[in-house]
Amino acid sequence: MADKINLTIDGVEVQADPGSVIIQAAMDNDLYIPYLCYYPGMKPYGACRMCVVKAEAPTPDGSYRPLPGSPASCTTPISEGMRVETNTDELVSLRKGILDLLISEHPHGCLNCHRIDLCGPTDVCLRHVTVNDRCVTCPKNERCELKDTVRYMEMELTTPLTYNNRHLPLEVKDPYWDMDMNLCIVCARCVRACDEVRGDSAITLKDRSGRSIIGTSQGTSLLESGCEFCGACIDVCPTGALVERDYKWDKAEKKVTSTCPHCPVGCQLSLDVSKRNKIIRAIPERTAEANRGMACYKGKFGLDFVNSRKKIDKPMIRNNGVLEETTWPTALDFISEKLLNYRNGEFALIGSPRGTNEDHYVGQKFGRDVMHSANVDISSNTHPEITKPLGDMTGRRTSTSRIWQLLDTDCVLVVSSNITESQNVVSVPIKQAAANGTKIIVVDQRETELTRYADIWLRPKVDSEIDLIGGFMRTIIDESLEDNEACQSCGEFTEFRNSLWDYDLTDIEATTGVPQDEIRNAARMFANAENASTIYGLETISPQIREHCAKAIVNLALMTGNIDNGPSGIYPMFKGANEQGARDLGACSEYLPNYVATGESAVGMTNLIESLNSGKIKAIEIVGDSPTFDEDQVGDFYKAFKQSELVIAHDNFESALTEIADVVLPSSTFAEKTGTYTNLEGRVHCVNPSIGPSSEADEEWRIFSQIAQRMGASGFEYRNSSDVFVEIQEKVSSYTNLDLDKVKKNGQIMRKENQDFQFAVVTRAEVSGDTTNSEYPIIFAPGRVLQQPDRDAGIDTSSDKNTITRTEIVEINASDASEHGIAEGDNIKLEGQGFSMNGIAHVNGIHKGMAASTSLFGSLVEDLANSGDNDPVLKSDSLRLRKVRIEKI
Amino acid sequence: MTVENDSLRKQIKEAIASQKRPTVTVLSSLLAIQDSIGYIPNEAIEEVAIAMNASINSVFGVASFYPNFRFTPPGDHSVEVCWGPTCHLLGAGRVLDEVLEQLGLEDEGDTPDGQVSFRFNTCLGACSRGPVISIDHELYGNVTDTQASILLRQLKDNPKTS
Repeated sequence: MADKINLTIDGVEVQADPGSVIIQAAMDNDLYIPYLCYYPGMKPYGACRMCVVKAEAPTPDGSYRPLPGSPASCTTPISEGMRVETNTDELVSLRKGILDLLISEHPHGCLNCHRIDLCGPTDVCLRHVTVNDRCVTCPKNERCELKDTVRYMEMELTTPLTYNNRHLPLEVKDPYWDMDMNLCIVCARCVRACDEVRGDSAITLKDRSGRSIIGTSQGTSLLESGCEFCGACIDVCPTGALVERDYKWDKAEKKVTSTCPHCPVGCQLSLDVSKRNKIIRAIPERTAEANRGMACYKGKFGLDFVNSRKKIDKPMIRNNGVLEETTWPTALDFISEKLLNYRNGEFALIGSPRGTNEDHYVGQKFGRDVMHSANVDISSNTHPEITKPLGDMTGRRTSTSRIWQLLDTDCVLVVSSNITESQNVVSVPIKQAAANGTKIIVVDQRETELTRYADIWLRPKVDSEIDLIGGFMRTIIDESLEDNEACQSCGEFTEFRNSLWDYDLTDIEATTGVPQDEIRNAARMFANAENASTIYGLETISPQIREHCAKAIVNLALMTGNIDNGPSGIYPMFKGANEQGARDLGACSEYLPNYVATGESAVGMTNLIESLNSGKIKAIEIVGDSPTFDEDQVGDFYKAFKQSELVIAHDNFESALTEIADVVLPSSTFAEKTGTYTNLEGRVHCVNPSIGPSSEADEEWRIFSQIAQRMGASGFEYRNSSDVFVEIQEKVSSYTNLDLDKVKKNGQIMRKENQDFQFAVVTRAEVSGDTTNSEYPIIFAPGRVLQQPDRDAGIDTSSDKNTITRTEIVEINASDASEHGIAEGDNIKLEGQGFSMNGIAHVNGIHKGMAASTSLFGSLVEDLANSGDNDPVLKSDSLRLRKVRIEKI
Repeated sequence: MTVENDSLRKQIKEAIASQKRPTVTVLSSLLAIQDSIGYIPNEAIEEVAIAMNASINSVFGVASFYPNFRFTPPGDHSVEVCWGPTCHLLGAGRVLDEVLEQLGLEDEGDTPDGQVSFRFNTCLGACSRGPVISIDHELYGNVTDTQASILLRQLKDNPKTS
């Protein structure tokens, strides 16, 4: 960082970063200049002119040259020795004039009511202010930036009724989002947040001059305008114009910062809690390094499950087939007595990806030390191959760079990962980078939102990714584009290089169905980039070849010198919120704490079903958090659970799991927990209790310790979660550097283990490409994008909720089409296990044996918003490949 | 992925593609489309968004900024009355009143039957001949309210020209 710049603001000498503007310099030094359109982190806009200042800059002869007029401090860069006045009489009068004009179109009875300091939040005024103007009729009451600014300026608003009401209808038909353009001051923060920060441009400034207002193209629904329902526009709105619909009128009694339990990004959210002990709003923390003020539809609108009244509130034991409520001591006695019979490999413990590090650690300690069983895992660990090869080859267990370093990379390769939905906030820096010229390469069968940003989108045949990546590497070697220094410093380079001779591009063109030239171009783009990052999720790849595929991806990153080199890195994308912590602390079947391998025999999620069916596992304890089993196999899981003699379920809600459980323990949601989560970067964040305990639900670590103690074990005498954390730090070397105070403040990255990098030889697997069977001969790749301007979205706006009514188009191969007697435009039906869909056939160049369709993200949001499920986000439809058959209807 | 092709979209695409100017922008594409089909339908916004790699909302933001873009099909005939200062002084007010009455309008807009699109014009560039009205882009100078009335009646008797 270059030297700071010194300047004087209102006589106070301050220092600020070079290149910043005056208002930012003031903010960084806790000085306030009134502003409405400026927002930290967004480009200056200079629209509202509230932040005008007087400034003068020194000249070489020592005198000061005033800047002409009254420049807006949000668009004026600072310079060394600058003197700024922010509060002269002239400026105050200018600002008052501007505010006068602004509120001439904003209802402002609420701003100048004489009872403003007397009224409590529950008082309803009867006659001081007209109905439309009352503070209680504004959803942003008590958190309105406009009101704060007006009051700061001590405006004398003597004529409350002389504003021009725009009489615009409220827009309340779209999910989650209410819009009242009568309250808008057209600061365009929302438009800029959507465009600049999120890269979506789902809303725009319509019309001009006095009629200018925020809206969508032709007033269409957000469902088709390209909105990703991230809520960024709501978060920046200074008035009540944009608000979250749920709990719109509720007031925050307190604010608690905690970590989002939906994905491994670990967004820091400031949770507004109402006096009824409910989380009413989630506002992403702007200063948090993991999410930088960003959230997604899950974090913003998917936390309501913690407020549900259907939560299990008492332990239950099954008696004659019926679950009966009981007390904690009885339930724990019952469990500890029963478990004594299974103190060996017959017991399995499956944690929840939403468990805290403390839960994971105590859980695995209980499973291993008390139950003498190696069968410990968490329910989201169905793709252990994502991270294992990376760990084996580089010693890194997390992403090797940070999420926001993606902003500085020159090329991003995304392999089989739908990050815009699964780990949404990771896609924000990618989209921003793409807007600044970063090249994006996407390898995926599905059309995801990121394919829209891709410079190159390769759509290989199913399970031919190893060949495709091999083709990249072969091209790089052939054209000497590798980073020679990096290659030589890694082990087994010669063997690795020799293995690449098998990857013949002509042959690969045949197996992947991707033209050679495209493969070469993508390889060149990746290798020639100064800093190239790789993101991979292996979402569409069959279990048997996942590990090889991950190895190939790591090889590619190693040979181009893109690990530990500036901002470039490699990002494994798993799904569980605290899956990272679970692996670090040994709550997974592959590793003990500290990544000590457990050996082959442990039962984990990948082989749980067979172990239950074969009778190897007789007792199982599952932390449900409303279980997150692989959708394909949910049925198989429940069938298998029924085979076991004892099922102990910890859960928030009654579910299919609690229906078969012998004992049900009420488990705390993330909102009642105290502990830590580790995100995909290895950043440890705090989980703080936001809603106090409303029931008898308890945290897992405490439950496990109590059972352990009842079973006579020692070493479980924890008083609180900090005690557990201290023990974690003793046992797990990568956590030793953590300081709980720093973790609490803003998260802290755990120590990275250094190890020499190794290439792994990946032999070309026989690309089966044919995991289908005769019953379901076609592989269907569902896609989902925010917007499809080339198609009519088919929005029904007639009812009180906007709905998408269109029939999807299904792409199929010409030979598949003729085989089934399907012609372009025919209505067809796709059927798979537990899946069926109708669509219109579109015959195009998609690979034989594949079908694909692209729906709107809006339909997912619509489903979530209308879902009656307690925790709909958890069960939302992911885009996985399905085996289907097609027929004409 | 799949475009629901209809003739309108085809026409729009041709209009976007046929631009000869060195820099093709959102604005130039919108102008080309309005020249080609007379207005900016929804599909045009979508097609421009695709061609310019922008979102439909950004394109609409641009289109709605300019009052010259219209989002509904224009009437069969266009009538414009100049109310620039010269025409105004020379009596455009009376002409205007007469035209509005004849068309049954109170302001700029289209007649309910879709026959005529009426607009004010700030200067038709023929101040020496004011008051001026333009019917189907043909200028008529020194018009009186009676003449305007006759011209409009002729227009009605002579529906759709092209």
